[in-house]
Parts: sequence; structure tokens; C-alpha cells
Amino acid sequence: MKPIKKLLNVLPALLVLTLSAPATAGDNEGVGPNIPAPVKGEQCVEDTDVMRKNHMKFLMKHRDETLREGIRTKQHSLKECIECHVPAKDEAQATRSEGEHFCKSCHMYTGVKIDCFECHATVPEKSAMFHPLVTPGMKAAKEAHQPASAELLNKLAAEKNNTGAIQ
Amino acid sequence: MSESKHTDQSRRDFLSNGAKLAAGVTLAPGVMLYGVAHARPADQPASSSVRWGMLVDTNKCAKGCNACVTGCQTENGWGAAGSSDEQLSSDNQKAQWIRKVELRNTATDSVHSLPMMCQHCETAPCVDVCPTGASMKRADGIVLVDKHICIGCRYCMMACPYKARSFIHEALEDQRAHAPRGKGTVESCTFCVHKLDAGEGTTACAEACNTEGHKAIIVGDLKDPNSELSQAVSQHATTQVRADLGLNTGVRYRGI
Repeated sequence: MKPIKKLLNVLPALLVLTLSAPATAGDNEGVGPNIPAPVKGEQCVEDTDVMRKNHMKFLMKHRDETLREGIRTKQHSLKECIECHVPAKDEAQATRSEGEHFCKSCHMYTGVKIDCFECHATVPEKSAMFHPLVTPGMKAAKEAHQPASAELLNKLAAEKNNTGAIQ
Repeated sequence: MSESKHTDQSRRDFLSNGAKLAAGVTLAPGVMLYGVAHARPADQPASSSVRWGMLVDTNKCAKGCNACVTGCQTENGWGAAGSSDEQLSSDNQKAQWIRKVELRNTATDSVHSLPMMCQHCETAPCVDVCPTGASMKRADGIVLVDKHICIGCRYCMMACPYKARSFIHEALEDQRAHAPRGKGTVESCTFCVHKLDAGEGTTACAEACNTEGHKAIIVGDLKDPNSELSQAVSQHATTQVRADLGLNTGVRYRGI
């Protein structure tokens, strides 16, 4: 009984991996859902296998925290998923058919009934062109204007020490 | 989430006054440092040491001006000026987060114009009647609909004395990223919760009113004695609409 139970536990993950593997490999055209590549960034907020299996759990937890408590961290936010994985309307990659949405294409293929996008926006409002992940220049500019708080504190502390030394 | 209507208000006032005192740090005799309510980090939940509120000065609110309504529509994507307007519904079925109302005193014939929206009650009837817990009040006093668990029964619409809520009858597209809305759920003014959480400290309607130059709407923290709102509320006589219901609304009016 036990090995069978174990097998049943890993079955959903295996299934998802098998279904989406052809799309990422790109060698089996027409087999499996056509999942568009992310618009920006090289690494997702979690490992790909963790995301494939658990993204719905992350999203479910985050939505309750955000709506009911006002916690607005970005890591597991649906808005951020869309920002990275879907091109904005004014971008070059935006000329896509309805079925070529990062989330929707896989949901349609696997027959997932829950649909975030009856209510939530399907595309980001701003073009990814100005996102720090895409444009290094923007990242540098952002850092210059908004230094990390630890950095700022160290700088202030150093300045204070200097004045102390002079006196 | 709901609080009992029978809570002793005087006891509650006493407790909130105590919280106010506790929130301040005495730097020197007569000099107090209050925590800055607007700078809440993203990973911190909304705090009950803040209560968001609004004061509408009806003497400054211009008759025929609709700026607050269009400002809200553009910001949150509903109605004629919004990106996800209903196409099939009739006008009296359409979304109505905020509307302009004209009041005429029959004795003096004086006419006052004012915006009417969710009053963000402390003891909200919509929260009391909701069978699923979708209608809820955040720790900082903002009343919201959790559309994830709203079943569209519309009890809250019946319970609201201000007719502040509306129901979406059709599938929508092009919602704003920060204001999800969809078929089969009830919605109302969110007090621009996304703006407040981002630390902007104001709402789209207040911004639009200021842009028009009327400056009739003040948004702020009712629990912070130094906020512009608290100062205004303590200096002038303000009214809660249907104060007889004892709901302790977050939205107050001046001049009616």
C-alpha cells in the first residue's frame, strides 16, 4: 500500500512536468500547451518545479494576506506574475492570439476551471521596457535615487562617526 | 471580522484614547513624537492604530461638478470613464462606487451638492449580514468585499443604508491591475486602498477634487490627532449621514 500512496502523491507533479516539458523543450511542436517565454527576468521567485506544483498555494495565501490584512509583498503576488510573464499591450511581443497567455494556455490545456482572469487584469499596465530587470540603466538610476535602507543607514552612521572624530 | 452592535461606545472611546496615548512617545514635556502612519512597510499588515477617514466640505463641493466620480472611474476602471465599463447592463444596474447627490432644504430652498459613497462604517451593516464573510472590515477601518468568496447574494446591498454597493451583471475585460472586478460579485468604494497601502495617503476622488481647485475632500487618519483630517474634524461641526443608526462612519460631511 505504502509505495502506491507515495506514487499517488508525486503523480500530480509528474503529470504537470510531463505536460509542460514539450513546450519548454520546444522540439515537439504542437504537443502540449504553447507556453510563451517570460517577457523579462531569468529566474522566477521560486524554482520552476516548485512553482509548477505549488503556485496556486502561494497565490491563495498571498491573496488573503493582501486583501484582508493589507500585506503587499511582491514575491507571490499575481500582479507580479503578470508583470514578468505577459507582455504589455504596447510591446512588440503583444501581438498574440488569445490562447497564448502564460497562465491561460496551460490552464486551458489541463482543463483547470478556476479562472483568476474573470476579475484580474490579464496584461500588465506598464511596458517591461522600463523595468529594472530588463534595462540595466533603469536599475542603476533607481539605485541612485533609492539606495537600500541598510546602505543608507551605514552611510549616515559613517558620517556621524566622521563628525565625532573631527570634534 | 464583524463587531457586535451592542459594544459599549463609551468604553470603546476610552480604549481608543488609551491607544492614542500609547502610540505617542514623549520626547520632552509637551513634545510628543507620533509614529508616521503612512510609512507602513509592504510586509506589515494594516494596523488598528490607524483609522482612515474622509471629510467632505459641502460648502466647497460645486454643483454640477463630477470630477470626483470621473477620477474614481479612471483610477478603478469602472463606469463610462473606466477601462472595464459594463456594455450590456442598463444604467441603473451599472457600477456605482461614488455618485453625486443634490440635497434641497424644503424650508430654505438651499441646495447642497455632495459625493455619496461607502461611508466605511465602524459597525458596518454589510459586514453583519454577509453569509460568507466576504464583506469585511480591515484593521484600519476600510470596508471591502473579498470577491474571492463573494457568492453574489446581494444581502449587503440591501443592508447598506447609503446604497453604496453595486453588483456586476456581465463578464468584464480590461480591469485595472490594482482593482480586480468581475461578474457575479458585489463591489463598492475601496477607499483607494491600493494608494493608501502604497503610502500615497490620499484617494483618487480627493486628488481629482484638488485638481479642480475645489479642495472639498480631506483624507486622513482619524486616530492621528495631528492629521489634517483630525484637525478639521476637531475644529468644525461635522455630520455623519444617518448618524441615528450609530454606525460611526469614517466619511463625514460639513455644511449639511
